Amino acid sequence: MKRWIGVGLALLLGVAVVAAVVLGNRGSGGGGGPAALVTVRGVIGSEKKPFFDDPGVRAAFARHGLRVEVDTAGSREIATSVDLRKYDFAFPSSVPAAEKIKQERGATRVYSPFYSPMAIATFQPIVDVLAKAGVVRDSGGGYQVLDLGKFLGLVAKGTRWDALPGNTAYPARKRVLLTTTDIRTSNSAAMYLAATSYVANDDDVVSSSSQVATVAPIVAPLFLDQGYSESSSEAPFEDYLAIGAGKTPMVVIYEAQYASRLFAADGAIRPDMRLIYPSPTVLSKHTLVPFTDKAAEVGRLLQEDPAFARLEAKYGFRTSDPRVFAGLVASSKAPIPAGLVDVVEPPTYEHLERLISTIQQRYLAGARPSS
Amino acid sequence: MRPGTRLTRHVPRRVTAAAAAALLLLPLAACGGSGGEPEGNAPDVLRVLAGSEVKDLEPLLAKAADAVGVKVRLSYAGTLDGAEEVANGGADGRYDATWFSSNRYLSLIDGASAKLSTQTKVMVSPVVLGLRRAKAHELGWDTRRVTWADIATAAGQHRFTFGMTNPASSNSGFSALVGVTAALSDAGEALDKSQIESVTPQLTRFFSAQTLTAGSSGWLADAYARQGGSGGSVDGLINYESVLLGLAGRLKEPLTLVYPSDGVVTADYPLTLLASSPKKELYGKLAAWLRTPAVQREIMTTTNRRPIVPEVRPDQRFGGAQLLELPFPNRRSAADELISAYLNQVRRPSRTLFVLDTSGSMEGDRIDALKQALAALTGADTSVSGQFSRFRNRETVTLLPFSSAPATPQTFTVPDRDATAVLGRIRAYGDALHAFGGTAIYDSLRSAYETLAGERSNDDFTSVVLMTDGENTDGSSYDDFAAYYRTARRKVPTFVVLFGDSDVGEMRQVAQLTGGAAFDARTGSLASAFKEIRGYQ
Repeated sequence: MKRWIGVGLALLLGVAVVAAVVLGNRGSGGGGGPAALVTVRGVIGSEKKPFFDDPGVRAAFARHGLRVEVDTAGSREIATSVDLRKYDFAFPSSVPAAEKIKQERGATRVYSPFYSPMAIATFQPIVDVLAKAGVVRDSGGGYQVLDLGKFLGLVAKGTRWDALPGNTAYPARKRVLLTTTDIRTSNSAAMYLAATSYVANDDDVVSSSSQVATVAPIVAPLFLDQGYSESSSEAPFEDYLAIGAGKTPMVVIYEAQYASRLFAADGAIRPDMRLIYPSPTVLSKHTLVPFTDKAAEVGRLLQEDPAFARLEAKYGFRTSDPRVFAGLVASSKAPIPAGLVDVVEPPTYEHLERLISTIQQRYLAGARPSS
Repeated sequence: MRPGTRLTRHVPRRVTAAAAAALLLLPLAACGGSGGEPEGNAPDVLRVLAGSEVKDLEPLLAKAADAVGVKVRLSYAGTLDGAEEVANGGADGRYDATWFSSNRYLSLIDGASAKLSTQTKVMVSPVVLGLRRAKAHELGWDTRRVTWADIATAAGQHRFTFGMTNPASSNSGFSALVGVTAALSDAGEALDKSQIESVTPQLTRFFSAQTLTAGSSGWLADAYARQGGSGGSVDGLINYESVLLGLAGRLKEPLTLVYPSDGVVTADYPLTLLASSPKKELYGKLAAWLRTPAVQREIMTTTNRRPIVPEVRPDQRFGGAQLLELPFPNRRSAADELISAYLNQVRRPSRTLFVLDTSGSMEGDRIDALKQALAALTGADTSVSGQFSRFRNRETVTLLPFSSAPATPQTFTVPDRDATAVLGRIRAYGDALHAFGGTAIYDSLRSAYETLAGERSNDDFTSVVLMTDGENTDGSSYDDFAAYYRTARRKVPTFVVLFGDSDVGEMRQVAQLTGGAAFDARTGSLASAFKEIRGYQ
């Protein structure tokens, strides 16, 4: 970790001039689009890729003389190991990662045009099994929640699906765990860590090193015992949609991933699929860090232009004006709540990072983390 | 075997702009280039380092040129070799993307994920057991739910036999090994070292039924199809569902697919952009095209793989059973431990004979290359893939050098632990070889088969390697050997290595006659050809 930052800084200092020249040249067209457009390149969390690929979004940028090209990477990778010299902006999925990039790159401001609560995509038979076990319940707000406190209890005991009482629907010998992305690279897993660490810390945001030390052994099995996990949040959701409960009975996602499929009515969400929320949950605030003036213009448009707000909502993101998202929910009759009640703040970048590093050390050590 | 999908010519519409840009960039590229650039790196060519598993997509990929203006050039590498090449930077600048059946092993290597950019899953295929119909029926596996533990029990009782690829060379073998181990360990979470150790006895029982091995899924399927299923010695295969379904028209007795109810490991074929490649846009076009519903349907119908986009649902060929996915290790040490245990403790031992040309024409670089290639197999190659291709614990190795006549065969048996001393003796023997005299290829090859005929035949994986750098000059001819082989008591495959001025036609005949394969070391190194062959032994 420390080493990566060191290398990153050295590279940044060493080739800043070259980068400026290259980026300058790139901006002048030749990449193939109409010559009038200025190309702006960004590295983003993979969950925003469909949004940037949308012809409507590209047209909206074109109307402002911009052509936005993106690569995808995990948010923590964006904040640590990705070579940012190749880009005009970074667009990770959380405020903490954005703050880190902002500091390192000396950016003057950031834009948070939209957010999405962390959610769990699952299936009705799984919900039924977990409801019977007392882990899933009604929130009282028209949606169901996974009680993280009770869930951590199951995990601490190493419970397997086939050991849950009365479970004939999903008698797998696998451990009861939520599928996440790789905690070492990806933001959605980090947001899940934020929520579970809050519960493991007696319902309080982790805010000291001693709390990190106490909480880490409790939450580490949530990630380590899954085995291999993917580095970006599109991949496990794709498995959920295409392969189903056999591979991914429950997957931690951004609400937007599920909502956008419902809004599109493309048939990807089949009748037995369900969206529930962890209780408590956290909000993933997608935050753009611009390195150039043109990239700042991209951030400003995404945050302030109503035409973009409509497009953002189409991709399932909640924008500052809640009516845009609510309108789509109503018109598509999507089973998505207007608001969530049990929402907590993530730890600061330093503490979240320390938690992740502690879990990362357990990967390196190869130690059995659980019970 | 060679890279290169020749694809239709397609002139990009923006050819002038692209050419102008290329001219401008030329001086920069010359300064920054690392050399060794493979030919054909035109702006519309995407150079892909791939697993041989995706070879069956070549006809489909040929259409990408017309559909989206992307010419795909595939080069093939084994699982671990390819992963190491990407992780150590060897693929940077030479390839734009990778396409293996899974990125899971690669992602376990330190620093490898920084080499990768966008990953796009293209299709899905689980690794399952295919068993000839009568055998599946006899075991009752065509009707009731079967677990890996059931399969292991039947294997231990010698009630069926199967073939599987080498986990160090091929992803299907690796996935199968992980799946079987995870299921037998009964742990419910990702494997670690202690679980692997405790499950080793059960694994040994399971793999006692493995009577066919191979370095690639394609060769394994061919070898199985060749034996025809009629009284053949192998009852089935553990492989990708797609490979097993694809065998349908080629077998006298069709396979019944057994989907173990306790889980499988599934390949998801991520087309992955290398971070070092500037051809992001080209990659994006190909990836998006591959996921269009029409192409997904074509992949399903022509290659028997399941679609990855939810808009296209798998059809009835895949059956309706829900497939549980078993956890995959998340540490490289666990993965490597597992492969090592499989090779050195679990599977049947290898019995290998190396018939090695030491004629006068080998003098100089060639004999040195041979010594190096042999030394690599005794542990001198310290890369992970090198360690997995060394002479294994419990393996019996015969070196049979020849010139005008075969020399006396030298046989070494590597013990089941502390292999170092014997490996050192094999290496010393190889180092002492020197080149002189003529080339009695067929007398020497026959001597290898006679050596085997004098041994009690057992269940070891037995094979011959024939390496020669020239034409036969002394003793019997190919026809003499072919006549002998037809009457030989032990029929085992000979893997031939084309080297120097080999008689390519005759060498291929030897491979075909014996059910082996030919490996080309005329352009690559002798050591890498030997390493590739180890996947088949």
